[in-house]
Amino acid sequence: MARFEFRLPDIGEGLAEAEVAKWLVSVGDRVTEDQAVVEMMTDKASVELPSPGAGVVVEQLAAEGDVVKTGDVLYVLETDARIGAAGAHGRAAESREKSPLPSRPAATSTGVLAPPAVRKLARELGVDLANVKGSGPGGRISAEDVQRHDAAATHPAHAAELPVTQGVQIGAGERVPLRGVQKRMAETMALSARSIPHVTGFHEVDAGAFVELAARLRREGEATGARFAFDTLLVRATAMAVHRHPIFNCSLDLERGEIVMHAEVNVGVATATPAGLIVPVVKRADTLDLARLAAEVDRVTSAAREGKTSVSDVRGGTITISNTGAWRGGLGTSLIVPPEVAIVGFGRVEEKAVVRDGKVVARPMMPMSITFDHRVIDGEAGLSFALTLRALIEDPQQLGT
Amino acid sequence: MVAGDQSDPVDCLILGAGPGGYVAALRAAQLGRSVTLVERRRVGGVCLNEGCIPSKQLSRFAAAKAAAEKLAPSGMPSFAGPPDMASFQKSRAASVGVLVKGVSSLLDAAGVKVIAGSARFVGRSRVCVEIGEESVRYFDFKDVVIATGSRATQLDVLPFEGDRVVEPSRALEWESTPASLLVAGDDYVALEIAVAYARLGSRVTLAAPAERLLPDFDSDLSAAAQRGARAAGVEVVLSADPHAMAGKAERVVVSAGRLANLEELDLQSAGLTPPGRHLKVDAQLRLDRHVFAIGDVTDGLPLAHRAMMQGRVAGDVLGGKTSAFDSRAIPRAVFSDPEIAAVGLTEIEALAAGHEVSIGRFPFAALGRAVIESATAGFAKLIFDRPGGALLGAHLAGPRSTELVAEMALAIEMGATAEDIALTAHAHPTFAESLMEAAEVSLGRPVHVRPAKR
Repeated sequence: MARFEFRLPDIGEGLAEAEVAKWLVSVGDRVTEDQAVVEMMTDKASVELPSPGAGVVVEQLAAEGDVVKTGDVLYVLETDARIGAAGAHGRAAESREKSPLPSRPAATSTGVLAPPAVRKLARELGVDLANVKGSGPGGRISAEDVQRHDAAATHPAHAAELPVTQGVQIGAGERVPLRGVQKRMAETMALSARSIPHVTGFHEVDAGAFVELAARLRREGEATGARFAFDTLLVRATAMAVHRHPIFNCSLDLERGEIVMHAEVNVGVATATPAGLIVPVVKRADTLDLARLAAEVDRVTSAAREGKTSVSDVRGGTITISNTGAWRGGLGTSLIVPPEVAIVGFGRVEEKAVVRDGKVVARPMMPMSITFDHRVIDGEAGLSFALTLRALIEDPQQLGT
Repeated sequence: MVAGDQSDPVDCLILGAGPGGYVAALRAAQLGRSVTLVERRRVGGVCLNEGCIPSKQLSRFAAAKAAAEKLAPSGMPSFAGPPDMASFQKSRAASVGVLVKGVSSLLDAAGVKVIAGSARFVGRSRVCVEIGEESVRYFDFKDVVIATGSRATQLDVLPFEGDRVVEPSRALEWESTPASLLVAGDDYVALEIAVAYARLGSRVTLAAPAERLLPDFDSDLSAAAQRGARAAGVEVVLSADPHAMAGKAERVVVSAGRLANLEELDLQSAGLTPPGRHLKVDAQLRLDRHVFAIGDVTDGLPLAHRAMMQGRVAGDVLGGKTSAFDSRAIPRAVFSDPEIAAVGLTEIEALAAGHEVSIGRFPFAALGRAVIESATAGFAKLIFDRPGGALLGAHLAGPRSTELVAEMALAIEMGATAEDIALTAHAHPTFAESLMEAAEVSLGRPVHVRPAKR
């Protein structure tokens, strides 16, 4: 028997913390090696962490909803056999060679130039002084520098000016904790609305040929057992349009005053899941052939619906599409996912009366909205992108190859 | 775990009421924790009862006698003859008594419950306290702070032996000055005792195992310490074999460092195994989620003020505050003749750390106050990170150095540069002026000494 402290591993891409979404076992439960013990939530992905060995969970050091730092002890396992550090995500409790929490370097006078009171303030606000630019002589960091950095990091716009939205309850309603996917959505969307000047253009696209192509590809897929989602063609059309209008595939770095043009076209697909809205990303969508694109769209959206999205699958998006057609969605505006600069919305394809060659005819029409960040994209560029996308959908031959 | 024994649940248990433990107790209690403090001897620990406080009283007593003798040529009535050590011991006991009572009443006022006894772990969250010979109590704690301090180490070749070969604390309690005294050691404790008894009339030999006194200080301070000790009448023998020299002395004091009091705690019973002679803690002074350690049991200088600072931080953390022990500069004070003090990096350490070191050295021969007090051998040596850069270290020798070092510690914590110190007015005529002057020297524009030729 040995005590093993399971520490939160780096779940991906250097994340500093994650939230306990759900304990899958209780204290006192026996677990087998690789049995999922806890579900952690990071950004928009939830990850199940497997047990490094067989044993009994004797202590859980965080409650559901708690945010745990990478390296902190999540739970303690009374293991049947000793678990080596190499084979596990954490370190054995016996090994106390290193301090359990990261500590600052030893006391020398060579660190950042900040007096003790400023260092205390930084600790309290959770600001890493290494990232703070000092405004004083020789780069000395003042309390104001720390506060400014904190405000910029946590409240990109003017948080102080936001209306207070606390405490009001009408009638005997229930209070539900804001956590996990919902909490991320609240933060990301508020950031988007506060910091991005959104402009939306509405368009109606004749989707007759597009729908036929999608139906044909689906049938062909069914014959071979491959699933072909309608979204696949929307991702492909968007990726191709982005390829021709690279300004739609950038981010804005205000701190350095630069527009960052991305080398990859990674298309996020807004996906409704039981846990809430998740946007898994189809990486390098412009380089995949149709079959692989279909497989990838199916993989990331299915994983999201099943709550098995990995962190890397929600990172690195450069543009997002939101298709509300399956939900009978009509025209609507969308919020851009920062640091992206555009989001394309598609609604339900419905037959509508349109004029063709001077005659009123019924055509399957799809509403489309192009929402862009007016800091980097102007009206002409926005319209130009919309026309390209429209042309790709109305004459979808290029999409089907 | 001992089955069947009654145990008392306690919120916050602190083991050891020395300068670390009692400060942690007070701070945690101020922040609303219910604190139980276990001490096997007297509150205040080694520092207050048999270390810092009584030793500084002895140093001050000896220094006053030396100062009066120094003034005799200037017309001060002489008071030659041996000091009355019995009276001194009464005043020493009185000072210690006042301070112990002070700490006790602070603990009382804060609602800290003090238990007299020796503690050891008997489980992950259980401690057994032996009270006297018979009685034993068990406590189940939520959080525990290990602050059991340290004790004097013996030399294998020269073990403690009755009243003749003793640890430094015993030398503070003598009712008479020995005719001859051998002090074995090279640290500040050995130096202070050697200088004090030499000033009080003993024939003192300081047998230093190292090649210099204060081997972990800047070498300029080692040289000043050696000159000063010799001037005070101490025979200094370097690279000495104390065993060979011990036979002739009436009394022998051995100062061979300190050993953390860990064995009796039975840390293994709490699932804690120290990797070495000390406990390694994080910035919040935690060994484990609910186990803290502060003071001499932790890795670092065994100094009361370090323990007190850690005690404050541990108390803060126990009280739910965001806190961390991140002192960049722990000053060290040596009450020898001259007084010696240091904070921050030594010259060698600064060079080794890759700094483009800039040094400002100001000799007291050019300082009015030092001439008045016949202390012209003193100096201030400041070490800056490149010319005009931030202060990295300060090394002071001379009267009141132990006070002046506080300004230098603040300067390091604030990231003060040579200009900051040079442009701060210092009262005249004081020893503190030497700091401003030394900063000016480093900037190449001293007023009271000749600038170095370029």
